[in-house]
Amino acid sequence: MRKILIQSLLLFFITFTYSQEQKKDSTSVENLEEVLVTATRTIRQLSSLPLPAQIVSKKEIEAVNSVRLSDILNEQTGLVTVSDFGGGEGIQMQGLDSQYTLILIDGVPLVGRSAGTLDINRITVGNIKQIEIVKGASSSLYGSEALGGVINIITENPKFGLNGNVNYRYGTNNSHDIDVNLGYRKDKFSVSAFINRYSTDGYDLIDGDGYNTVDPFSNYTFTTKLKYNFSEKTNLFISGRYFTENQEYAAPDGLNGESDSKEWNTHIKLNHRYSEKWSSYFEFYATRYKAEEFLKDSDDFLFSEGNFDQLLVRPEIRATYNPNEKSSFIGGLGWNHETLDRTDFSTNPEFNSPFVYLQYDANPTEKINVILGARYDLHSEYKSQFSPKVAGRYEINDKLSVKGSVGYGFKAPDFRQLYFDFTNSTVGYTVLGFNQVISSVPELIEEGATIRVSLSDYEGELLPENSVSFNFGGVYKPIAELTFEINLFRNNIQDLIETQVIATRTNGTNVFSYHNISKVYTQGLEINASWKLSNYLKFSGGYQLLYAKDKDAEKAFKSGEIFARLNPSSPSFQLKEDDYFGLYNRSRHMANAKVFYTIEPWKLNTNIRATYRSKYGLFDTNGNEYLDEYDDFVDGYVLFNWAVNKTIYNNYELGFGIDNIFDFTDSENISNISGRLFYGRINIKF
Amino acid sequence: MKTIKILSLIALFITVISCSTDDDSTPNIEVESQLIENLNAPQEGGQGNPISGEFTKFNFATGQTTVSETDWDIAFRGTIILVNGGEITGIEDEPNRTGEAAAYIASGTLASVTSVDTSLLNQDFENSPAILTGSGAGWYIYAGPPTHLITPIAGKVLVFKTHDGKYAKLEILSYYKDAPASPDAFADLDKYYTFNYVYQPNGGVTIF
Repeated sequence: MRKILIQSLLLFFITFTYSQEQKKDSTSVENLEEVLVTATRTIRQLSSLPLPAQIVSKKEIEAVNSVRLSDILNEQTGLVTVSDFGGGEGIQMQGLDSQYTLILIDGVPLVGRSAGTLDINRITVGNIKQIEIVKGASSSLYGSEALGGVINIITENPKFGLNGNVNYRYGTNNSHDIDVNLGYRKDKFSVSAFINRYSTDGYDLIDGDGYNTVDPFSNYTFTTKLKYNFSEKTNLFISGRYFTENQEYAAPDGLNGESDSKEWNTHIKLNHRYSEKWSSYFEFYATRYKAEEFLKDSDDFLFSEGNFDQLLVRPEIRATYNPNEKSSFIGGLGWNHETLDRTDFSTNPEFNSPFVYLQYDANPTEKINVILGARYDLHSEYKSQFSPKVAGRYEINDKLSVKGSVGYGFKAPDFRQLYFDFTNSTVGYTVLGFNQVISSVPELIEEGATIRVSLSDYEGELLPENSVSFNFGGVYKPIAELTFEINLFRNNIQDLIETQVIATRTNGTNVFSYHNISKVYTQGLEINASWKLSNYLKFSGGYQLLYAKDKDAEKAFKSGEIFARLNPSSPSFQLKEDDYFGLYNRSRHMANAKVFYTIEPWKLNTNIRATYRSKYGLFDTNGNEYLDEYDDFVDGYVLFNWAVNKTIYNNYELGFGIDNIFDFTDSENISNISGRLFYGRINIKF
Repeated sequence: MKTIKILSLIALFITVISCSTDDDSTPNIEVESQLIENLNAPQEGGQGNPISGEFTKFNFATGQTTVSETDWDIAFRGTIILVNGGEITGIEDEPNRTGEAAAYIASGTLASVTSVDTSLLNQDFENSPAILTGSGAGWYIYAGPPTHLITPIAGKVLVFKTHDGKYAKLEILSYYKDAPASPDAFADLDKYYTFNYVYQPNGGVTIF
């Protein structure tokens, strides 16, 4: 079956290459409605899409004076940034961890998830046109990582002529953020350059422990983009991005260290329209993420050292075919080549993965839209994946429409889960990648270690973590100014990769490895409402209800196998089924409310935004390895942000704002909320 | 007059009550839950280095630690718990097994585990102690960074056969000195066991 699919797709490509019948070009109609490319890889109106999606506009980003991507994403419904031990800050979407959301810039992925999380603080918002957020599994178009959804950052294109702007923001913690945008566009040609520098002194939430919560750091982002239209039919896009960050650590006892990360990416895309019906895209993308860190004591003795160097190269060809106005096809064929050089790895692994995808988008009637898509990823190191998706939308009337989608998503095992060979010298435990287990076992037996698992479990291939996601919702627009959206979601995730003890050494220390273990689900409801009272006043609000649970844990609670203690040193008692709270770091309720107000005569706009997150648990505190109602929770909180911006002489804009007005902090549990931040901003356009 | 009447009635009742207690007398000795606090089980080495040191031995019948080579039921060192039955497991400074002790881990509260399932009892063997070691495998969870806490798993009751064929059940409450309500692995001294146990002194009786 899969072979047939590949063959037919290959045939499809061969056909398209030879069928270059020329027809007259029709002029494309520019629509004022919001459009996005992430959901279908074609330009689509947001409002007509059968998938749950959202656009964050440049206007909103500028109005709230965001600096890093995390600032703006934290204010969107159902999204929250979660920091991990490695210091990175990732995004949680529909209750799925940050490693299950694909982060793209102009349609191509960022790499460098050293511990699973892609640190979205790496991304500046200074040159963003819009952020496109698509929820629900999207592996049918994007392959690995698009399990919970996709966030695509679309960068700005220059306007006609020579133009640019300089933006500078200074705020609490001696934080400086400076952007320089330069652009030039003529008939056939456009070029732009963007530079950002961000630096901060960091902050310290806990006095007297000798550590800073966030140590000072600085980073630079350089981006250039070049577009050339050879003709109306052919155009070339080249972009490059370079990011570098340096952070110095100071710890007690004279320990000091440094971490350096560097990232570059190159993206080349050649588009050609053969006819009204056929176009193709030839794309080449390469990116490298390198991180190095060390820790030394006061005598310059090297305490620890780590490096991470990941390379991704991806050539891809893509074609669109529009046989008639009612239907369109998009298909692609590509190759992922990935290598990694990392401390504590047994080898320098290499991944090779060709892939192919096809999507059919049809409007059989004016009221119905159907999308069918599928992708096949053939992989050298783990089980190959077939990812289908189906979505539909029905417009009941002008005011009401319903939509639904079902899709498959997966996340490939990362290099660490396959090749790790790490021994913690202070505590003595060892972590082995899945592929290392069989070869390491004889050595472990020789040491006298007791093997605790059936080795046949480690003979096959590690399965990718995978999920089937369901989204059903509707949009109700009683009047043009008022919009209600609702989406019910459920993600059934299985084969989650977790560590388990595979052997115990004679000295009592354990050897861990990775295996497909857990089945979890996340389900809930998302509601968004916006009310444009006038051109000058807009209210919006959002709410997400979330249940994220482990299926085996649910069963264990149901059958009365789970016990708890009121405190770690008191006798245990049995828990009931509804005492199970769910997965760690998930809040049952999240909400936001925003008011945007423009005072036209004063050329002033101002806004107040509030985001709420209900209580959540970070780890088990009563000795049963599950999060239950008797555990200690992190209290829920509300953050209030306020911003005001005024334009003077058309080209100058001054901004002022306070993030986290009421100075909320939770030093014990929340390291990424720094307390109240004042800032001022100036923007000069030319 | 009235007072005398009441007093005699009271006397009558007392007599009746004491009679009925006498009638109910049973040959078995009562089982009682006992609390042991801060049983120190030190070790040498650790944190990647070879672990050694004398085990702290405990006798259920006396409810005390003992240095006897033979009259002990279970022995503690660090997070390791051995039983006086079976063979040596092969670690440093291990006491020789002289008795018929055995163990298993049951799920439940100390009160809800009311009988011994003798088919589950295991003795110590080479590389395989009856009470498994390691986080999550036996009686405790090691939290790892950042707290590094060792916490007894809730709902795990250690069921023992003693060296002389009697039975006991035990619930570990804390691994830290004075069983603090919020232990801190950096500030509190560890390898101090606090546990509740119930000893069934009547030979052959497998219910508590």
